[in-house]
Amino acid sequence: MNLFQYVSENFDKILSLFVEHFFLFLFSIVITTIIGVALSIIATEEGREKVGKIILSITGAAQAVPSIAVIALVFIYVGIGKFPAIISLIIYSLVPVMFNATSGILSVPKGVIEAGKGMGLTKKQILWKLKIPIAIPVIMGGIRSAATIIIGTAVVASVIGGGGLGDLIFIGLKLNRPNALIAGAASSAILAIIIDRILAYIEKLVTPKGLKIER
Amino acid sequence: MSSDTNKIENKEVKEVKNNESQEKEKEYTIELKNVTKRFGDDVAVDNLSLSVEKGTLTMLIGPSGCGKTTTMKMINRLIQLDEGEIKLNGTSVYNIDPVQLRRTIGYVIQEIGLFPHFTVFDNIATVPRLLKWDENKIKKRVEELLDMVTLDSSYAYRYPLQLSGGERQRVGLARALGADPEVLLMDEPFGAIDPINRLKLHDSFLEIQEEIKKTIVFVTHDINEAIKLGDKVAIIRNGKLVQYANSTEILYNPANKFVENLLGQDRSLKALTLKRTKDFISSENVITMSKDISEDQALKQLKENNQIVAFVLDKNNKLVGRYWLEKTKKDKFEINYDENPIMTEQNNTLNESLSTMFSSGEQLLPVVNRRGLFLGVIRLSHIFEEFNK
Repeated sequence: MNLFQYVSENFDKILSLFVEHFFLFLFSIVITTIIGVALSIIATEEGREKVGKIILSITGAAQAVPSIAVIALVFIYVGIGKFPAIISLIIYSLVPVMFNATSGILSVPKGVIEAGKGMGLTKKQILWKLKIPIAIPVIMGGIRSAATIIIGTAVVASVIGGGGLGDLIFIGLKLNRPNALIAGAASSAILAIIIDRILAYIEKLVTPKGLKIER
Repeated sequence: MSSDTNKIENKEVKEVKNNESQEKEKEYTIELKNVTKRFGDDVAVDNLSLSVEKGTLTMLIGPSGCGKTTTMKMINRLIQLDEGEIKLNGTSVYNIDPVQLRRTIGYVIQEIGLFPHFTVFDNIATVPRLLKWDENKIKKRVEELLDMVTLDSSYAYRYPLQLSGGERQRVGLARALGADPEVLLMDEPFGAIDPINRLKLHDSFLEIQEEIKKTIVFVTHDINEAIKLGDKVAIIRNGKLVQYANSTEILYNPANKFVENLLGQDRSLKALTLKRTKDFISSENVITMSKDISEDQALKQLKENNQIVAFVLDKNNKLVGRYWLEKTKKDKFEINYDENPIMTEQNNTLNESLSTMFSSGEQLLPVVNRRGLFLGVIRLSHIFEEFNK
């Protein structure tokens, strides 16, 4: 059987795994974004410079931790199934989101914040009208990183019962079925690319015009 | 000496107080009384008292770390004082919500801090929008301010990244004036600008201040800038007020050795900084002509009037060029045209115009205002006369 035949015969199955994978991704990315950005906002408030710097150090180093390590640890404490899979995806992808959001907010020029404060903007206004819009490109970069990481890590998470395209890949490996392997791997690559393009478009939409200007 | 100056001030103050104490409260828009600020063990501002009259420009100057910026920032409560009082038009600044207070005070910093994601229009409209002004009123105000800082209205929809340093500085000033505050606080606003553009900015700034008469506290580390711009200069050292007087007083009666050193050796040359170019403008024997004149006609006019230089103005009286005669061999004169004549602004000090004359090799310079309109000329001979007095 060649690949094309395999795909057309098992199309329904592949599609349902694709969709499952997508929802694993969607659920995780939304929660990670909300938690990650919220924590970063708290960590970068005035007077908390040290906290922000500690976060950057920790998340910077944590990027080196392999996904399987996180998955294994979650497995030990939570068990198997979709829920632990999602937990591990969230924990793992929090790192790039928090690193970028913290670093993005901290790199808003101090003069801009001081001018805003001196002109009579409240703390809330400084955050939502100045800090966040200016940091958006960097924050979105973190979200896009997280998205790609989640899609890839979700494949690995299938070993603890996460489901998704990982199932196809591991079946292919275990039962020595190259078609399954390729179908699974290619599908997850396609998903990753589509998601990245969508996020790139969103990034363009939310980035303020003034920041996109060429001199 | 400083106590003498302060004694004179205190005497004046006491006399006024004896007459009408209410008048005295109104006279001083900003009052600092025995203000002290500590950062840990370090006393940054030490029992400092200062009163700023309405409509005047007060310069705070001193060496790095002397407390001048800290002092200024206590006025809009960006820094909290530890002891003493600060009053704005008679009311303590601690009786007002700090955010509301800041919306009534214009604030300009060295980095300017224009919001990069806002257009020039939105930047300038910031405080008016916070104060919920009507959008039509805001549009008018932004146009008015762009004109005041001599930026074409097309600048309204540009972004800060598209502007030069001098343009950003002007937008920063316009933004601070957005809601027409009575008081402006400026912290080394021209510090990051190159010397040539800084002169132009000084000139514009002085012209604007003459028009709007705001009460301004301006921090600088440049004694020349302080003497040139300020109605009054407050010299601060180690958090203490050393001398507070007008420029002439400071130059001719420095309070102590520290002030003398601050002024530098060339104090007599500095006296030239007290005089403005606009006070020495002459229109005698000055030829101006319109752009439409041909070179031959220009040559003819110059010869008839026995002049070597003529200035070319457009229909709005803006200086756009200059004709000058060059002597070639055989007693013949050749006429040349200069598209970018060296000029000097009306608020430049005599010192600065002199400097421009030396560096350009000209004995005569056209004088312009911030919009580039021709006002007359200044001659080297006049400056020397002044210097010899």
